[in-house]
Amino acid sequence: MDPQQPEPVSYICGDCGAENTLKPGDVIQCRECGYRILYKKRTRRIVQYEAR
Amino acid sequence: MGFGQEEDSQRCLAAPVKSAVDKFQLLPAFLKVRGLVKQHIDSFNYFINHEMKKIMKANDLLVAHHDPNIYLRYTNIYVESPSVEVDRVSEELKPHFCRLSDRTYAAPVKVDIEYSKANLPNKVEYKRGVLIGRMPIMLRSSHCVLNGKDEEQLARLGECPLDPGGYFIIKGTEKVILIQEQLSKNRIIIDTDSKGRVTASVTSSTHETKSKTVLFMDKEKIYLQLNQFVKPIPILVIMKAMGMESDQEVVQMIGRDPRYGSLLLPSLQECASERIYTQQQALEYLDGKVVYSSSARTETRKESRAKSILLDVFLANVLVKEGKFRPKCIYTAVMLRRMMDAILNTDTFDDKDYVGNKRLELSGQLVSLLFEDLFKTMNSQALERLRRSYEQQNRSSPLEIFPYLTADIITQGLERAISTGNWDLKRFKMHRKGVSQVLSRLSFIGALGHMTRISPQFEKTRKVSGPRALQPSQWGMLCPCDTPEGEACGLTKNLALMTHVTTDEEEGPLVILCYSLGVQDLSSLSAEEIHTPGSYLVIFNGLILGKHEAPKRFANAMRSLRRSGKIGEFVSIYVNDKQHCVYVASDGGRVCRPLVIADKGVSRIKEHHMKELRDGLRTFDDFLRDGLVEYLDVNEENNALIALYEHELDNDESGAEKDDVKRSSITHIEIEPFTILGVVAGLIPYPHHNQSPRNTYQCAMGKQAMGNIAYNQLCRADTLLYLLVYPQRPLLTTKTIELVGYDKLGAGQNATVAVMSYSGYDIEDAIVMNKASLDRGFGRCIAMKRYTVVTESYGPDILDKIVRPRRNVDGSLPQNMQILDEDGLAAPGEIIRNNYVYVNKQTPVDRNISQRGDRKYTDAPVIYKGPEGETIVVDRVILCSDTNDKLTIKFITRHTRRPEVGDKFSSRHGQKGVCGTIVRQEDFPFSERGICPDLIMNPHGFPSRMTIGKMIELLGGKAGVSCGRFHYGSAFGEPSGHADKVEDISKTLVKHGFSYSGKDFLYSGITGYPLQAYIFMGPIYYQKLKHMVLDKIHARAKGPRVTLTRQPTEGRIRHGGLRLGEMERDCLIAYGASMLLFERLMLSSDPYQVQVCRKCGLLGYYNYKLKKSFCSMCKNGENIATMKLPYACKLLFQELQSMNVVPRLTLTEA
Repeated sequence: MDPQQPEPVSYICGDCGAENTLKPGDVIQCRECGYRILYKKRTRRIVQYEAR
Repeated sequence: MGFGQEEDSQRCLAAPVKSAVDKFQLLPAFLKVRGLVKQHIDSFNYFINHEMKKIMKANDLLVAHHDPNIYLRYTNIYVESPSVEVDRVSEELKPHFCRLSDRTYAAPVKVDIEYSKANLPNKVEYKRGVLIGRMPIMLRSSHCVLNGKDEEQLARLGECPLDPGGYFIIKGTEKVILIQEQLSKNRIIIDTDSKGRVTASVTSSTHETKSKTVLFMDKEKIYLQLNQFVKPIPILVIMKAMGMESDQEVVQMIGRDPRYGSLLLPSLQECASERIYTQQQALEYLDGKVVYSSSARTETRKESRAKSILLDVFLANVLVKEGKFRPKCIYTAVMLRRMMDAILNTDTFDDKDYVGNKRLELSGQLVSLLFEDLFKTMNSQALERLRRSYEQQNRSSPLEIFPYLTADIITQGLERAISTGNWDLKRFKMHRKGVSQVLSRLSFIGALGHMTRISPQFEKTRKVSGPRALQPSQWGMLCPCDTPEGEACGLTKNLALMTHVTTDEEEGPLVILCYSLGVQDLSSLSAEEIHTPGSYLVIFNGLILGKHEAPKRFANAMRSLRRSGKIGEFVSIYVNDKQHCVYVASDGGRVCRPLVIADKGVSRIKEHHMKELRDGLRTFDDFLRDGLVEYLDVNEENNALIALYEHELDNDESGAEKDDVKRSSITHIEIEPFTILGVVAGLIPYPHHNQSPRNTYQCAMGKQAMGNIAYNQLCRADTLLYLLVYPQRPLLTTKTIELVGYDKLGAGQNATVAVMSYSGYDIEDAIVMNKASLDRGFGRCIAMKRYTVVTESYGPDILDKIVRPRRNVDGSLPQNMQILDEDGLAAPGEIIRNNYVYVNKQTPVDRNISQRGDRKYTDAPVIYKGPEGETIVVDRVILCSDTNDKLTIKFITRHTRRPEVGDKFSSRHGQKGVCGTIVRQEDFPFSERGICPDLIMNPHGFPSRMTIGKMIELLGGKAGVSCGRFHYGSAFGEPSGHADKVEDISKTLVKHGFSYSGKDFLYSGITGYPLQAYIFMGPIYYQKLKHMVLDKIHARAKGPRVTLTRQPTEGRIRHGGLRLGEMERDCLIAYGASMLLFERLMLSSDPYQVQVCRKCGLLGYYNYKLKKSFCSMCKNGENIATMKLPYACKLLFQELQSMNVVPRLTLTEA
């Protein structure tokens, strides 16, 4: 959440599913519907799970 | 629920000829309107809609202490729908949102008020909708947003349709207010006290006062004991003080039987010897015995103190009109009569364990007490603050009460009490702990079982067997199986499937009805007339209304009124022939259950009624209204003769009935016999074939089984959640399972079990598991854990911050920070290992507010600590702000586990066992058809446990898989067709080419030869229990030590050592293994080298600079010896010295 970093991380609203970006100190709230729970998006890195 | 298919298939089976009507369909209809958690919801609804208004009405006027013109009156009180205020905007609350974001699911309580305007005392102001607090709302109650929603709407709200509701959400945690068991209030209880004296006690409880009145007989004389009197008062004095100056009238009131007279004689004599003959004398005598309380403003009106105690405290439940004591005199006389009856005939004692003498206090009543207390506190505080600001000279605020009403008292008081479970109400002398509990969400059935739990009235330490024993009156009301083992055994109980707990009902109309049905008012009766032979006293909610000449006719009239719906369905009418009383009860907290009414043994429900129910033309309430079904409470059951089955009676048309019961005398028929069990015991197939403790064990284990929790389980954020990867519904079901939805949210898997010995790793209930089955997903589970990180705030703009991970010089991330994103948080899907950072948090160094400019921060990363080598996956990351506007981040992690050696499994018959070994499928036995078991169970588990139900489950399961129909094993279900008979199952097995006995011909997997015996093999529903090796495994060589004693730490979480305790030490001493003992207690624990002065025996020190030992007591280093002892020993010496005790060491040559 460094302001200098231009690469923003976006979050998904728990109600309407809209994507939101957050800055430090922002209120956690969806900009579209006002819902107050946001979820982080799944990682875009490659992950390898072990299936035992 | 689609039972149509089942019914068809049952018909084709050789089910018993259904001469009687199948009443099973009543059960789902009943559970729709009542039952399980409905009593919680009903009682809470009653509180919100009625009780709250009554509390407001009782305390509606506030008048300032200094000026009677300043007043405030509440005119209305109401609860709105749940909402929260954020930035002065009201936002609607949804239960699931509260769960996720740690909020309280509460609704504003508002009042309408009228009050005097400041400085204008005659003008009245009105105000509507004044907020006085927030009331936590029970889920699915009338004010909950989930009320009346269908499955789809619930799903849209993120709610599970199978979730029963009936709990609260306080700060994000689900809280249940347990049902509290109590002795009934306002009833005469005849008992013996600890000294063996006969006592009659009444615990009176009215809105104004609570008191306990005890009459007891000591040395043949009867006394009254009341807290307000310093010593026991002779009962005749009390009677005289209440205006009964004539001894003859007292005797008449008790009854003219000479035996009563002779029992009363010593008491009469004592009163006469005290020379008390008139009311005046009696009151004077009593005044001398009144407890002197310093706070009371006595002295001036001391004459009337005793009288006011008699009026207000003595038998407070009996109302006194215009100062006339007569009702209380008669009540006392009835108490005396009951006491004497008990002395003359010992079986008229009341049994405190009898369920009819108990009342269950539900969440509505408990919250109502809390609310009343807080409401009064709020009012008195408002007045107090008004007075204080009046006394201040230069006041600026106008003199009104209204601004002093603060909503915080009620909001926080309710929240605190429900979240801690401590009901501390000084006003009602109530101090109870553990009233509310966190709803256990280990399994669906565990949560459901939690809602039906009844917490005991006694202390658990009581070593008496009476309250723990199974009471015959529990039949059908409380589950006989579901009780914990150990200290709370038999005290903590659970409701049965069809039990309903009543709520209070309006008394006034019922009293009037009683009088119009021929009850003669007490005031019109002389003492002599009260106990006329043949007439019964009519007692309504513990109050004597009067007498009735024809009690049976009266009771029948009342009952027919109830059956026709003219009076409430839960009013109970009970004729007690022993006590010559008719008890009418409409109070709350009685347990009752529905029964089918029968006329001379013939059920009133006919086939066409059931058809109407099946077609949806009838509901359960219609059955009630048409007088086909009625609720009976425990007392009224005593007036009924209840048959289990109707067709059982049909067999003996001749009249030569079983058990000498005349068919014509049967008044009621059970709806279904299996409803005597509760929800948790209802999961057991064929419980009536098991040894009874096994069912109790299963009730405890069913709550620990992993499976599905709710439909919304993957959206929840519980601290710990265990889920099964492939849960199944049991092949052998019961009707209860279908009713409660266990078939939709199962907690187990159908495993093919071979009952045989294998490998020696199966002793002591251990299970041999098939490796290939585990590969296919048998017993595989997911452990979801929540880790919460809160960014703390230390003042305005002094906050923790979460920053981008610092990169290495080459631009790569450090090893333990690789899972972090640019926002400093681990992303979902990432794999976390031990010591990985999942939140890159920084915290301010200087937390002073005054500091300006740039703040310095230090790294405070949140590091994951888990078992080395195991990896977990971040499942979800939830961001929300909590009630104090702090950023809260919740990481929900997921760990998939396959069964390993030591994991615990159990069938549904109290047969738990750990996985002893995992064997390759190649080595497993197999049948000619190629069937290979999933697990092998040792046959030694059967003979001593006697769980025949498990064997029938295996048979039924096997038949079920072969013919493709779920078989049933409901309790006592064979006669009504809700459980398949072994005979029928065997026929099915034979039809599909199996042996009738369920045994199979198996080949050894190791040698390939046929096994010498036929093996009993088939599917059994197995539960995986929450106890897993991974959570318990622990070993240590070297590790952390406690700083104070330098001994190894304790406990697994602290990576502690394994203690060689006293008993183990004793063994080593006895064996003489001194060197081992030395090693364990010294070298492996806390060795320490000390300098001891041989002269003074105290500890010295070693000066490293001078390389010399020194004794600080003797001020020299001459007689110093070096020795080893445990650090804890040295610590003890020093601690003793600090307390002025000198321990000296006397050394001998080693």
